Amino acid sequence: MKHIIDIHTHPAFFEMINHKEEMLEKRQQVLGLYKAGTASLNHVFNQMKVAEIDRLGLLPLDLTTQAGFEVVSNEEIAAIVSESPDRFIGFASVDPYRKDVLDVLERAFTDLGLKGLKLHPAKQRFNPGDAIMRPIYELCLKYDKPIIFHAGLSLEPDAPVSFGHPLGFEEVAGRYPQLRICLAHFGWPWVKETAALLLKYPNIYTDTALLYFDSAHEFYQHVFCEELGKYWIDRSLRHQVMFGSNNPRFEQIRMAQAIQQLGWRDSTVELVLRENALEFIREEN
Amino acid sequence: MFHHSEFVIFTEKYLQMVVITNKVREAVDESGIQNGLVAVISLHTTTGISVNESLECLDSDIEEFLGRLVPEDHPYFHARILPSYGSTAGNPTGHIKAMLTGNHCLFSIVNGKLVMGSAQEIYLYEFDGPAKRTVTITVQGE
Repeated sequence: MKHIIDIHTHPAFFEMINHKEEMLEKRQQVLGLYKAGTASLNHVFNQMKVAEIDRLGLLPLDLTTQAGFEVVSNEEIAAIVSESPDRFIGFASVDPYRKDVLDVLERAFTDLGLKGLKLHPAKQRFNPGDAIMRPIYELCLKYDKPIIFHAGLSLEPDAPVSFGHPLGFEEVAGRYPQLRICLAHFGWPWVKETAALLLKYPNIYTDTALLYFDSAHEFYQHVFCEELGKYWIDRSLRHQVMFGSNNPRFEQIRMAQAIQQLGWRDSTVELVLRENALEFIREEN
Repeated sequence: MFHHSEFVIFTEKYLQMVVITNKVREAVDESGIQNGLVAVISLHTTTGISVNESLECLDSDIEEFLGRLVPEDHPYFHARILPSYGSTAGNPTGHIKAMLTGNHCLFSIVNGKLVMGSAQEIYLYEFDGPAKRTVTITVQGE
């Protein structure tokens, strides 16, 4: 058993929060996962077992002002976590334009006990360096909570790619050096830009939730051994890369296997598969 | 007469062989049909229905043989984002193995009983688990 942490999953189709067919269809459309079926917790646990994954980071999405609803709410995340606190790491989401933004976020960190914040600039239509975002970042700093930003391409509808360019996050990383931020999806296709930011800013993390072409093995080999120098992660970026799958859009089981076939030293594999995620959420191993 | 039923299995492994003979017997008994045919059909494209002897050595041989015919590391075309799904297609081996094994089997019913050889068992083969799988059992006769 490898005790893998998959820091980047979306529970939008968990059976326990999809009692109404209408809500399931809304989630399918807004997330662009048009044929996603519901998954019982039993199925989720089976999938984790086969992939040797111990824990999942659960990411919600608040689109109150952009779409008129919370795709997955913080309360739903907290409810899922309560079903299996050892297996789930709950993140919060907040729409930056809602009037009660700071109240919602503070409640997520205090009453609901969520471990960090997920933000999606393209879907929520903000630029990371916007002044409106600063109180949100400062609240995360106050509670020592990390932020996962969607970065790079988003396949969701109504989510322009340009919002995800990694360089758009440099202002945040530089202004708040104590704030841990993850540029998810390795900022693909701008993986060299992401690597440059990782090298320059130790408070920036990234994850491996990228599978936009090919099989998991082929795509990881291409990105991590050809687009990036073969040794860049193993030698220089090994403390800032977390395993993430972006399940259910991508292949969780095969991605977890493929990440172990990149020729990294064993201690780097352990960092990527588990230890960096614990550091990111400030949890003891 | 016609009797149709289905059952659901949550498979627990990536590759799994599940003996479902008793499920079929139960459905035949429930149908009340004395003489006719029963069709066992999977509703999926990455599972198989097949008939074989239930021995762990044979299970291993069949799994190994299919894995040799359809290796996991081949550069398949079915390895890409599917726009109609919005998600990745990563299970070409499951589809091809399902094609090889077929999605159904058929048995006779005589005097209310399944007519099966002494070594025969009905299998659901999982080729892309874990997953929720549905198998239909249709009995037709008199």
